[in-house]
Amino acid sequence: MTPAATPVTPAPEAAPRQNPLTLVMKIKSRADYNALVKLLTEMQSLPRDKNPIMVALDRIATVHFARFVFLGKTKLAVITTYDGSFEDYLNDFINVIGKIFDALLQHMADAPPLPVENNRQAFMEYVRANDLRCLGTFYSAYPKLGVKTILANAQDEE
Amino acid sequence: MGPAAAPAALTSQQLADIQGLILRSYKMPRIRGFVLRVDDPLAARSLLGRLAEGDSQVPAVRSAAPWQSKPEFCLNVGITFDGLRALRIPAKSLASFPEEFVAGAAGRAAEVGDTGKSAPEHWVGGLNTGQAHVLLSLSAQSDDVVSDVSRSLRAVFAASGAAELFFADGAMLPNFRAHFDYADGISQPKVAGAPAYKPDSAHSVELADPLDQVPLGAFVLGYESQHRGLLYPYPAPDALGRNGSFAALRILRQDCAAFERYLDQQSQALQVDRELIAAKLCGRWRNGVPLALSPDSGEPVALPREQWNNFDYSNDPQGARCPFGSHIRRNNPRNTPVSGNGGQRHRIMRRGLPYGPPFDPSNPDDGIERGLLGLFICGSLKDQFEFLMKHWVQDGDFIGMGEDRDPIVGNQPESGGRFRFRDTNGKRVTLRGMPSFVTTRGAAYCFLPSISALKWIAALG
Repeated sequence: MTPAATPVTPAPEAAPRQNPLTLVMKIKSRADYNALVKLLTEMQSLPRDKNPIMVALDRIATVHFARFVFLGKTKLAVITTYDGSFEDYLNDFINVIGKIFDALLQHMADAPPLPVENNRQAFMEYVRANDLRCLGTFYSAYPKLGVKTILANAQDEE
Repeated sequence: MGPAAAPAALTSQQLADIQGLILRSYKMPRIRGFVLRVDDPLAARSLLGRLAEGDSQVPAVRSAAPWQSKPEFCLNVGITFDGLRALRIPAKSLASFPEEFVAGAAGRAAEVGDTGKSAPEHWVGGLNTGQAHVLLSLSAQSDDVVSDVSRSLRAVFAASGAAELFFADGAMLPNFRAHFDYADGISQPKVAGAPAYKPDSAHSVELADPLDQVPLGAFVLGYESQHRGLLYPYPAPDALGRNGSFAALRILRQDCAAFERYLDQQSQALQVDRELIAAKLCGRWRNGVPLALSPDSGEPVALPREQWNNFDYSNDPQGARCPFGSHIRRNNPRNTPVSGNGGQRHRIMRRGLPYGPPFDPSNPDDGIERGLLGLFICGSLKDQFEFLMKHWVQDGDFIGMGEDRDPIVGNQPESGGRFRFRDTNGKRVTLRGMPSFVTTRGAAYCFLPSISALKWIAALG
């Protein structure tokens, strides 16, 4: 199934700094589902400084929140809130987390060519095509604040 | 794992094909830029072919091949997308250029903060008209050389189907300062595989640089970029695109009187030394000494000039020495953690010289325009120049500074900009109501073709 397009896009001047990513990827087979469960369970059970996903997201520092959710046994969703333009940060993002996506995408139907480092545009198009974003206006309690500024402010408070 | 293998040195054939200003600074005291309109594509293509090789009337475009003795001048050429269309480059090639270059500087003005007084409607030199087609950059050792070469070039423009729309002159200021009186051009990317061009002017010294070399493809098309596995998109066929580059020409007016006045006002209001404020805004004292190495004095006892670029921010993780929001830390964060973790992956090569006479503080409102004729070179205008302007100059979140903009070159909001730093006692200082000190007076996105691409264009007949 092709994800539905976002029905409403907020006006640019009203758009918050943050953006939603609701990436829903179709898993190739039951064997691939089992492999993904094993892979993600292992990675996500590691302490933060050993978890390659968290280490990468700390380095990228544009992602506020991120989680993986299996939708039944046929789809895997990556749900995040991130700062700025995915396209602008595409190269930086792939430089840091491309290998993790290689590990996930090898189990997906209709995956872009891998490794993503060598197929950056195709990866972006895959993400765009499978990103459900959100219905209507994206809500943020703090629309002007990005990850780096929030962390800097928090440090100032300490 | 052992150390990475040294990158292959560029061959003499490659160097002879790449325009010189991409890989080296000429360090000449004069510059003149010409903006030309192509009226006769056939004749203009022929002129480009003559520039590739040079003849008795037309000087050759300067390549990146090292010179034995320093020449009197260096000529280089850029072509806008409108220019490529006017030259009747085949449609298939036109369609292969990146979208930001196709849109051009005027089309992308909002992306880089060229709004309000910096918007294209206010630009000079025909740079917002779609008629700025070919740009020539003439660097020279003296005014006489500029005049002589200009005479030769102008003699062939008309006969070559090209009309001169505009020219602008720049000149090195005393003590190698830019306007606002800062020493400029201290830090430039070192390109892997490029020759070690030795300093050959009286004022230049070889600066130690701890940063990694930047892969060739960050600046020269057809090679792997600073992103593993990625070659920046470049035009087809290979004969047109390979060994070329892109550049953003910028004519930037600097309001010296407003800058000095602001320093006076803030110094008085906040009881902070005005030269410390000036240093904090830039990240260097006006003479070029970096705050990262000398936070308390612009005249350090033991810091030879060769060391003025030999630093990162390992010893300054809180921005206590060099503020996160300062001009140099934004535009070259070095090892500062930034959004995307790409602090060393969006670098640009800076060329250019000031225009207008030195600012005289005793006659601040003399009505004379001053500024910078700048050329910002990169393999991808979108991933380097525009990224830097959009995220690092016109925003501050990438480095934890909210919406604060670059205090020196940023286009500030109507309500005035904000800048934060710590004084020598570690006390927080906030500057507010900062006006825009720099206004864009014109801009153009140029393709810098290789020497062989100029011949390819000429051979289109």
